[in-house]
Amino acid sequence: MAGLSPGRYALRRLLVGVLQVFAVATAVFLLTEALPGDAAVALAGDNPDPARIEQIRRVMRLDQPLAERFADWLGGLFRFDLGVSLVSQRPVTAFLTDGLAPTMLLAALTLLVLVPVAVLLGVVAAVREGSPLDRAVTTVSVGLHAIPEFALAIVLVAVFGVQLRWLPPTAVGVGDNLLRQPAVLVLPLVVLLARPICSISRLVRAGMIEALHADYVRHARRLGLSPGRVRLRHALPNAVAAAVPQLAHTTDWLLGGVIVVEAVFVIPGLGTTLVDAVAARDLPVVQGLVVFFAVTTVLVNLVADIVSFRLSPRTEVVR
Amino acid sequence: MTEVVVRVRDLVAEVGRRRLVDGLSLELRAGRVLALVGASGSGKTTTGLAVLGETPPGVTVSGEITVAGREVGPDRPPRPGAVAYVPQHPASVLNPVRRVGGVLREIAERHLPDPPRSRKARRDMVNALVADALRRAQLPADRDLLRRYPHQLSGGQQQRVVLAQALVANPAVLVADEPTTGQDAVTRAEVVDELRALAADGIAILLLSHDLDVVRALADHVVVLRSGVPVESGPTDRVLSQPDNEYTRALVAAQPRVAVEPTDPTDDREDGTSQDTGRLRVESLVAHHGSGRRRRIALHHVDLTVAAGECVAVVGRSGSGKTTLARCIAGLHTATSGVVSVDNRALAPSLRRRSRTDLASVQYVFQDARGSFDQHRSVLDQISRTAVRLHGSRPADAAEAAMAVLRRVGLGEEHARRGPHRLSGGELQRAALARALLARPGVLLCDEITSGLDTLTQQGILDLLAELRATTAGTLVLISHDMGVVARLADQVVVLDAGHVVERGPVAEVLATPTHPVTRALLGAPEREPDELIAR
Amino acid sequence: MTRWLRWTAGIVLTGVPLLLAIAGPWLVDGSPTRKRAFSSGADHPLGTDFVGRDVWQQVLLGGRTVLLVALLATALAYVVAVPWGIAAALGRRRFVDELLMRPLDVVLALPSLLLLLLLATIAPSGSLTLVGIVALLNLPGLTRIVRAAALEIGSRPAVEAMRLQGEGWWRITVGYVARSMLRTLAADLGTRFTGALYLVASASFLGVGVPPDASDWAVMVDRNRPGLFVQPWAVIAPALLIVALSVGVNLLFDRVLAARSRSDLRGAAS
Repeated sequence: MAGLSPGRYALRRLLVGVLQVFAVATAVFLLTEALPGDAAVALAGDNPDPARIEQIRRVMRLDQPLAERFADWLGGLFRFDLGVSLVSQRPVTAFLTDGLAPTMLLAALTLLVLVPVAVLLGVVAAVREGSPLDRAVTTVSVGLHAIPEFALAIVLVAVFGVQLRWLPPTAVGVGDNLLRQPAVLVLPLVVLLARPICSISRLVRAGMIEALHADYVRHARRLGLSPGRVRLRHALPNAVAAAVPQLAHTTDWLLGGVIVVEAVFVIPGLGTTLVDAVAARDLPVVQGLVVFFAVTTVLVNLVADIVSFRLSPRTEVVR
Repeated sequence: MTEVVVRVRDLVAEVGRRRLVDGLSLELRAGRVLALVGASGSGKTTTGLAVLGETPPGVTVSGEITVAGREVGPDRPPRPGAVAYVPQHPASVLNPVRRVGGVLREIAERHLPDPPRSRKARRDMVNALVADALRRAQLPADRDLLRRYPHQLSGGQQQRVVLAQALVANPAVLVADEPTTGQDAVTRAEVVDELRALAADGIAILLLSHDLDVVRALADHVVVLRSGVPVESGPTDRVLSQPDNEYTRALVAAQPRVAVEPTDPTDDREDGTSQDTGRLRVESLVAHHGSGRRRRIALHHVDLTVAAGECVAVVGRSGSGKTTLARCIAGLHTATSGVVSVDNRALAPSLRRRSRTDLASVQYVFQDARGSFDQHRSVLDQISRTAVRLHGSRPADAAEAAMAVLRRVGLGEEHARRGPHRLSGGELQRAALARALLARPGVLLCDEITSGLDTLTQQGILDLLAELRATTAGTLVLISHDMGVVARLADQVVVLDAGHVVERGPVAEVLATPTHPVTRALLGAPEREPDELIAR
Repeated sequence: MTRWLRWTAGIVLTGVPLLLAIAGPWLVDGSPTRKRAFSSGADHPLGTDFVGRDVWQQVLLGGRTVLLVALLATALAYVVAVPWGIAAALGRRRFVDELLMRPLDVVLALPSLLLLLLLATIAPSGSLTLVGIVALLNLPGLTRIVRAAALEIGSRPAVEAMRLQGEGWWRITVGYVARSMLRTLAADLGTRFTGALYLVASASFLGVGVPPDASDWAVMVDRNRPGLFVQPWAVIAPALLIVALSVGVNLLFDRVLAARSRSDLRGAAS
């Protein structure tokens, strides 16, 4: 679509994002209704005592009409008020602010390492296409790219934490400022990086190989441009443009991976909070976290779409 | 005489034991145009690439090539930029994610004759070089163009941008590979114009083409290749008017020429069918493309009447609405308003609402023959479905009927039992015709069915259509931009421009005395006098 | 030769866990006896687990559910997504397409594992629930692939030619469109299955959809973690099996696809 300016595209994309968040918020709210039978009884656990059921009913205001509760829920989202926990009566937002720092630290560090390493690996493999190095990189990335994080983490912990004792096996006792003891972060980062590095370096490699074989690259060489320049300024932009949407997808994974990695390494982040809340059937906390993660995911996708719109002007990304 | 820029001696290119080029020698001087002529697969492109010092994978090249005084081989490319290459599809050599201006400046930076120290002086020199190249490639030097991406340019502009890129690098030779294939007549004239201006600037041009009209308008010297063997060479005027070689004669004869002899092939039909009602009638047809805000009109109240057994050609530039008209008649595109009727029976605008009889009465042959077949089933199997669905034949009878039609279009059992991927483009187009003919249609629509085929294959298909016209009373609607094809087959011609009928009449009349500028442009472009082109 | 090596690696890595998962339950003799937790001894080659069961026996028993749930979820995703995507692509009206595709965007707005946890909170726990959830999570991606393929195939002249021949809906949609997208779907199958395996194993590890003492590789990894220092095999054996399975399946599918595209090239060249 030649006529669409980046500004208008961003605006349109933003609108879609807002709608997505609204849809998720609605769906998450309606899940309470989808509970079989009486929601309060269902949430009270295996041995419900009447007082607990009564308390849940009061906290979640289940005796009020549906429409009123929905309006309150949406209004609460705008005021950053997500209700209170069924277990501890703490506000859900308190859970969010507590767990935010370690989770964001993990995600940010992962992205910081991920992008340059994955692009570099992809480019090197593509430029030396067919060499032993390329074959090694591709074989490893094909194999590793769908390993469940928990299995990889456990194997690494057993080797480096238990057998060799090089790195701490968990973050127990470090508290929530992980930077005080950076060694704790090494294994979680390696685990979090494994999958996305594989998938993105493969995409960059494929994009780069395609670009290097493209007529426009051969043509640029004919016109006297140096090989290094042709790779950097003519082939790479095409390769990266192909990988950007996947980078957004990776951030989805990353948030999922963070949940597992926090559970394995006992890091007190949002993931641990979520897993605990799920185990305790603490629905308001789960709902609040889900909306928070949805907003993050939508934002990341939004940025990625706008970036790839700028990078590859031909694409017509309309979701 | 000017200096010799390209000298090729005894060029041989081989894949395994097959020779793609066999003993080609040529000489090209500055400011002259040499054309390599031949059907597709005759070794033209291999030769062009060899001059660039490139060999396609698996090909070995031997022989002597000198470009601008320097010997060129697979390991010794010519001086960067010395040989400019304009490929058949300019879009493929333009980087989709880079702006036009950025790339031009990048190339200019590399080719500054003697780069000054200061950054500002450098930038000014680069800009001057780019502006000069744009001017010589007949592009406006405005900022808007430089800020565009390749996909925001028209096909003609893309070609000129490729040309400008080459000119920035100050080439001695330009290799133009089929620069006019698939272009309409007006664009073709523009390309001829551009190349001629470059030759006048002193650049040697090696033209690879099967388009004899363009060769005639541009080249000083012609070399005819047949399967890699040079069969004839000499000055253009002589070779194309009095060819010595049999193959050259065939090539020249196969070229559809615009004939304006006022013979009237419809004479004998005047009395038989009633001219006033007509077999096919299109009344006040209006069609749109797209929907919502992007909806735009494609056809404005088009009327058309074609008698039984008559052939009408619908011509126009690309985007004029000629294909949309044919698709509306076939029901593939739903018209907004208007009536299409065959033998006075109105057809539903959408294919879905047409009865089997109505479906059989109008058939359509696609430009993309390969795409119109299912790759997983044999050709015979697919063609016989026409008889099964439209005439209710039993499968065995349908296969027999299909085989009969296939034989009529010149395909044997051995072709019919194969999958479509094992047939050539020309064979598939014949099969597609057979599929349509099996329906025994009252109206047959052919959409550019010969474009994309080389001259000799094209000739075969046109012969077949002519023969079918003579032996059946079917009505033919021909969509084409090739006036040569039109002159050969059609009785009537309708000229469309931007969805309006701008001219219509008997072929002989319209071709002899075109009244509308678009008709003149479509007709005149390849026939224009060289002097007239330079004067522009 | 590396190609040979990669084939062998793929086959061995897939074969061992697959064999254990399928045949394992038949090799177990007698009901599980309980000993002291995290002990080792001659009659327990891999020691005992957190409740004193034999680890080797648990390894034999624990693969079948993971594998079965992942397989069923993949199959279910295809069964739903193929007609869904084709209907969206070939629908005559634009709003049908929108109506079919937009709800799937909601699923895409959340990381899969998160959505899995959310749904597991409210759905009754059990293997069939997990099948449904994992299939649902795969739906948006798969439906988009199907829709994109069907749009491309549906706009080919071949479809219009068939319509001009008076062919019916079934012959065009199933006989041509669906038939022509088989390759695209086959290319997707490997990643789709390992993706399902990933979700099923991760969910079980997080305690979703399975009882806490289930015989399941992923549950074993989670539950035996406290004994990592005294009895590491109770954790490492199942973890390695899961790693081997997902690496092996990926390598194998990659090889198959590569071999096929090579034979395609050869076919095109001849």
